[in-house]
Formats: sequence, structure tokens, C-alpha cells
Amino acid sequence: MKKMKLGSYTPGTSLIHQLDPRTKLLSGLVVIIVILVDNSWPVLVLNTVLIFLVLYLSKISPKSVLHGVKWLWIIFAASFIAHCVCTQGEPWFSLGPLVVSKEGISRGLATFLRLLILYLCSTILTMTTSPMKLAGGLEALFAPLIYLRVPVNQFAMLITIALRFIPTLIEEAETITKAQKSRGAPFASPKKMVRLKTTLAVLIPLVVSSLQRATDLAVAMESRCYTGGPHHSRTKNLCFGRYDLVALAVTVVICISGTIVG
Amino acid sequence: MVVIKKDDFISMQGIQLSNVTKEYFNSQNDKFCALKAVNLAIKFGEFVGIAGENGSGKTTLARLLNGLLLPSAGRVTVNGMDTRQRRVIKEIRRLVGMVFQNPDNQLVSPVVEEEIAFGPENLNLPRQEVNKRVEKALQIVGLENLRQKSPHMLSGGQKQRVAIAAALAMQPDYLVLDEPTSMLDQTGRRRILEHLRKLNRKHGITIILISHNMEDLIGADRIIMLHQGRIAGDGTPWKIFQRDDHTVALKPPNIVRMAQILRKRGYRLDQQITTLEQMENGICRLLKSTT
Repeated sequence: MKKMKLGSYTPGTSLIHQLDPRTKLLSGLVVIIVILVDNSWPVLVLNTVLIFLVLYLSKISPKSVLHGVKWLWIIFAASFIAHCVCTQGEPWFSLGPLVVSKEGISRGLATFLRLLILYLCSTILTMTTSPMKLAGGLEALFAPLIYLRVPVNQFAMLITIALRFIPTLIEEAETITKAQKSRGAPFASPKKMVRLKTTLAVLIPLVVSSLQRATDLAVAMESRCYTGGPHHSRTKNLCFGRYDLVALAVTVVICISGTIVG
Repeated sequence: MVVIKKDDFISMQGIQLSNVTKEYFNSQNDKFCALKAVNLAIKFGEFVGIAGENGSGKTTLARLLNGLLLPSAGRVTVNGMDTRQRRVIKEIRRLVGMVFQNPDNQLVSPVVEEEIAFGPENLNLPRQEVNKRVEKALQIVGLENLRQKSPHMLSGGQKQRVAIAAALAMQPDYLVLDEPTSMLDQTGRRRILEHLRKLNRKHGITIILISHNMEDLIGADRIIMLHQGRIAGDGTPWKIFQRDDHTVALKPPNIVRMAQILRKRGYRLDQQITTLEQMENGICRLLKSTT
């Protein structure tokens, strides 16, 4: 059994898993818009509490979500430090030439929370919603756009396939990296240019093989009568229940009350 | 969608290739002929093996059967429907299920269950019917307990069974498999072959199995040999394995070769031997007659 890749769907039967994909998409969207528009403390704290509540209810191990990406933490930390140092305001303490202000700390924390919420929102969404359901949800939500000749059905399919192939492509990249290493590719070279060129030696084969995969997959889909049309049975299968109503209501109430208090 | 009742087409059942030629043009505009004037009839309910070396036209032949490719000349008909007619192509693709070589590149969905539902959903069947078909397909290939898994967590053989189940959910008459075992290990390979035999005998599905490994084709009713785009042989496995010409450079299965060697050494194995059991019986009889 291979290791689960971050952000990929983890089957489960929790409340969050069972929610209608449209509910999850809409609530996620509302939360993201609110925290991006309004960064007052009540909004951020309430939404952080909300997102951790959702994480708890989804029964996904928090470890797998929070420790998943090393790079993300570096970005979080970098943005926090940048805010601390660069914000003008009442000085709190200073490290040599760097002055850390109270406003800086507060804005740094706020940014950290915003990034964290953004990250958790999207990760929990993709981890608790199977891509087919996600595609169904998107297809249903954006259905009105069909009248504007937006290819909503194909777009939904595209997202499904992209999600399906993330683990496959990661595996493939690992295999190519090993293959290039075994031929002496200098991945650990101290020179940046050399490392960049070595990375290219992984990327190019990866792109070529993805194109081959794409051709094969297109043939396989065509063989199974895919014509790019709408999936009636997929979109009709969605069912908006009581829990969905409650979940949406909770999200909206939290967002509005946060904004009012802030 | 065109609805065609089975009874109306009894007389036309089967896949017919008449005088089929398929040409490709490469980037220099040179003509390459993958199939040359092939005539072939596959009867409903048969288990047909198609063998040939790389470049003999096996894959081209497979893709002509469900209209993925159209013949440059000649005609391919499935249950009487011509693959060149656009309005029946969906029905033809439903009737002729396809399983490809690489299990990773033919699965659309990250969840087994949804993968199998993909085909029936494309036919716009009602939900209950889709669920019923998914259930049945899972049961036939024995993957009920993996239904919620993601294909990338399965073994190659399991992935190939998912692909077979996905084709079965369309309730096809014919199942075309293009080298389905070449990327699998021995166990995976054997299980796939067992499933195919079961599908043929128990569920009456016509199997068209393409392979360059003769061992895979022992259980077939009939083997068609392709060589440089032409049919170089057509007959029962026994008849094909007996051929001694070197135009067709595929090795017969080990059991058959062993029988040939024994015969050359003067042991009288009189019956047709293609399987392990037949070999066992043959040797037992030999031993009894000598003692």
C-alpha cells in the first residue's frame, strides 16, 4: 500500500464527508471571501475556530493535514516575519537594525491565520469530497453559465481528471528522479544553475509521459461513450439535506457575526 | 441513442471485418499499412485470441472493432452496424467494451466505485440502474471490498480488474482486451485470465484477447495470428501451436513445446495437448502403457 498523498481524497463516512459537495464548495467560498475582504480579529478567530471544528468533524488526522507540506510552513513563517519587521508602528523590541512593532506582530499573526484558513479550506474540501462528487457539485453550481456558452461540463471533468492524476504524476516524477540520479544527475550540486538544469531533466520526460497518458486516457474515455456532454445522473445524484442547511447556516452566521463585531 | 433489441439482430450478430485495410501517414507523409485486406468474422460467444509480434497490426485491429479507428477501405460491422455510421457509434462502443494495456492510463476516477459508474453515467442511465450495474460488475470481478479505494492504491492486477468491471458495467456483448496482462506479475496475470474465462463461459460475453504471449491464449476457442498486417493463421490453439513455419516467430506455450519434444524422442503422445491437465493425463497413460 502506498502512502496517501497530501490533499487527495481520503474515503470516510464522517458528517463532513456526507455533506453535499455544493454545501462544501459554497461554505468554503464564503469563508475565503470573508477572510480576504475583512481581516479584523473577530472574523479571523471565529473562522479559525470554525475550520478547526470542521477538521475535527471530518475525522481526518490533523497531523496529516498540518504536517503535510514543509514548504507551506516556510511560506507561513516568512510572511509572518516579513510582516513583523516591515510594519511601521510602536516598537516593541529590536534585534540589531530590525525593529519589531506591536502592529507588526498583530498583522503577521493575522496573515498567518488567513493563510492557514485558506490552506485548510481547500485541503479539507478535496480530502473529504471524492473528485466525481466535486465535479458534480461544480457542474450543478455553474450550470447557469451553460447559457453563456461556458463549457461547464467539460470543465468539471477536467478538474476531476487533474485531481485523479496528481498522485500518479508525483509517483512518476519520483521514478524519473531516481532514474536520473542513477545515471549520475547532479541533484545535490552546490551550483544553482546545475540544479536547475537537472530539474529540467525531470520535467521534460514528465511532460512527455503526461502527454502519452493524456492520449491513452482520451482513447479509454471515448471507448466508454464519453462525449463531453452533461452527466445527468451525476448531478441529479446530489442531495441537499438537513445537515447541509445547518452547515451553510452556521457558516453564514459565523461570517456575518464576525463582520458585525469587527 | 439508438435502441436496438437483441432479437432483431440474431442473424447479424457478431463482428465482421470485410476487406479491411488501415493505412497511417507518418510525418514525412509516407504511407504505412497496418492492416492489409483483412477478412474476419467473430461469432457471438467465442473466446478469440489474437496473437502477433509488435507491429503486426494487433492494436490497430482492436481499435477498429469499436470505431476508435475507421478503416481506410473495407467495412467493420458490429451486430450489423457499420462503425462508419456516426449515429450508431455510441451503441457500438457500448456493445464492444475495451480494456487497454496500461492500467494507470485508462482509469478516470480516483474512486473504484465511481470509475465503474463512469460508463453507465455516460449512457445517461437512471441512478438506480447505474448503482445496480456497479454492484454487479464489482461482484463479477470480486472487488466488492475495494469499492471505496483509490485506484492508485491498488495493485496492477486489481487495477486491470477495475478496468474490466468498468467495461462490464456497460453490459457489452464483446470485450476486447489489448495486452491486458503484459504489465502484470504472474499472479495478477493468472487471475485476469481466470476472470476472462469465467466471463466467457458463465456470462456469455465474447472475449477478444490480444497478446504476444501464447501462454495467455491457451484457453481460447480460436487463435488468429497476425503477421505484417495480414492474417497468417486462424484456428484452434492446437492447430496454431502445431504450425512449424517461421514467418510467425512467436513461441508456442511451454506445455506444447514439451509435448513436441517428447514426441520427437519417440514417446507416443497421441492426444492434442495444450493444457497442464492434458499433459498430466497423457504422461500417466504413457507410464501405464509402458509398465
